[in-house]
Amino acid sequence: MTCLEFERDLPECVEGQPSPEQQAHLNSCPTCSGLLLDLNSIASQAKMLSAAEEPSAAVWNAIEERLRSEGLIRRSEPIYLPVEAKPSFMQRWRAAWLVPVAAALAVVAVVKLYHPTRLNNDDAKQVQQPIASTAPVKNASAKRKPALSHEDQQWLSTVAARPPAQLAKFRSDLDQANAFIEDAQESLQQDPNDVYMQQMLMNAYEQKQMLYELVVDDSSH
Amino acid sequence: MTDARKQQGEKLTEAEAIERAKQGDAAAFKVLYDLHKRRVYSLCLRMTQNTASAEDLTQEAFLQLFRKIGTFRGESAFSTWLHRMSVNVVLMQLRKKNLPIVPIDDTLEGDEEGTIKKEPGAPDERLAGSIDRLRLQRAVDELPPGYRTIFVLHDVEGYEHNEIAEMVGCSIGNSKSQLHKARLKLRELLRVDRAEKARK
Repeated sequence: MTCLEFERDLPECVEGQPSPEQQAHLNSCPTCSGLLLDLNSIASQAKMLSAAEEPSAAVWNAIEERLRSEGLIRRSEPIYLPVEAKPSFMQRWRAAWLVPVAAALAVVAVVKLYHPTRLNNDDAKQVQQPIASTAPVKNASAKRKPALSHEDQQWLSTVAARPPAQLAKFRSDLDQANAFIEDAQESLQQDPNDVYMQQMLMNAYEQKQMLYELVVDDSSH
Repeated sequence: MTDARKQQGEKLTEAEAIERAKQGDAAAFKVLYDLHKRRVYSLCLRMTQNTASAEDLTQEAFLQLFRKIGTFRGESAFSTWLHRMSVNVVLMQLRKKNLPIVPIDDTLEGDEEGTIKKEPGAPDERLAGSIDRLRLQRAVDELPPGYRTIFVLHDVEGYEHNEIAEMVGCSIGNSKSQLHKARLKLRELLRVDRAEKARK
């Protein structure tokens, strides 16, 4: 085999197994064996270039903004409270009473939702009463601030000593969760069998329960 | 509690994130983005050689993905689906800019890049072992656009020639030929680079 003949079959040879004839040529030709070695090396090293770079944070910000403007993100911003130090045992349990309260709220919601045909207007009002204001609200809005229930006020008093910015965030998240709950309840009063709204109400209760739990987890602040 | 913990930063699996993203969960979108952003961005950067364009294309690829995520049924791997979409976004962009995806000299026989330069063989002339990521990256950036596209898709991203032929709109033989020429060109560029470094 000549160098020209080897060259003709070279593409098949790279990353593959040379035929006995090609191998015999490679053994006797340092130019062709060097070439094959280099091309194999380039092909194998190229994999290092995959996932080698990272985009700037601006890319995600732009994506998120577009998703929101197009309505693809339907749920509220995930609630994230940074935990800077692990709370002590006593600190953790000081606000632990909030968890059963939230759990009870969730149980009430589950009981009502899994028997949607029994839910009449009176029942719906009973669910609504302990949670938030009974004032009818026509449009969901994160800016609206429904009246706080007794549990909510106790919860806020637990976090009253926190920095103002954190307190404002708590309040804003709580208002948002309450607004969700109110809207979902109002819709369910009109159509108790609306499965989507039932799920929305469950999500809202879960979000509120999560807020309560975060206070317990984050009570060192 | 599971929901709350997940939203507080506990890692979602990809499958969980996909299901939650279908419901419009912002955190799930971010998980999917974080899982795949490097590979998608690197692909865009390799193909365009421009960070601003690469970021725009990365954004566009993910937006297309998220808009269509409700149609993802899991028949193929999510990463395969995403990367195929990213490649299509990049190729479409290259077409818009009228950049040649496959060089017109493809069918020419014995062109410069396709021929082995006869050099006296000497083991110390070989590149193997001296190729690092930065040198290779620089050399890839210097490739003509058509060669670069095929090289990136095959050797970097791992697509097969039949897939590349379909995506780029060329024959399988054309894809193989371009790849071979791209590798030869890279070898040449890397050797020049090494020789220049040796002179300094």
